[in-house]
Amino acid sequence: MKNNIRVERAIKNITQAELADQVNVSRQTINTIESNKYVPSTVLALKIARVFGKPLEEIFMLEEGD
Amino acid sequence: MKSKFLFPYWCRFLGWALFLVHVPVVLLKKDLGFDVPGDLSDQGLFNSHHLFFMCTSLLMVSGLFLVAFAKEKIEDEQIWQVRLDSLRWAIYVNYLILIISLVFIEDTGHILHLNLWVPLLFFIVRFRWVIFRLNRSLSREG
Repeated sequence: MKNNIRVERAIKNITQAELADQVNVSRQTINTIESNKYVPSTVLALKIARVFGKPLEEIFMLEEGD
Repeated sequence: MKSKFLFPYWCRFLGWALFLVHVPVVLLKKDLGFDVPGDLSDQGLFNSHHLFFMCTSLLMVSGLFLVAFAKEKIEDEQIWQVRLDSLRWAIYVNYLILIISLVFIEDTGHILHLNLWVPLLFFIVRFRWVIFRLNRSLSREG
């Protein structure tokens, strides 16, 4: 699964730490999600999508082989 | 994320303190006058050898237990996953060592000794190592 959190963050102009704060996780978690090392739970994915005000599919998308 | 069944954050320091207290006591047991072998008046279930073993083991195990299952500063789902993963590895390693020592060591008392601290210590080392790596990749990206 890939995501474009980094792009969305740039558009909204917030840092990893600010996003982490808003969804109640550590900065490490946001960092590993952005670098595709960690797949968030549905709850966390929905929270992240809510911060950016976009539907889930615009932020997280399946890759080939998923 | 609700973190049930975990000790508060400060228990980590308490745990290390208990563990560190146990080390010199075990190392210096003869010098401190505990656990003198060969005393015939000292028999029964609660003889000094057993009492000494019980107290030091309790110190060590409760110390490691507190360290292993204390909350992190920020508990989130990734920490949970790392914790579960480390536990799985600790059980694997523990049983591997257990099986090997069952085959190659006759003295079963030592197997209990190993079993007391191997899973906890391996869990702690592995858990902290993964968190250290996460932090390092974070500081590399800035």
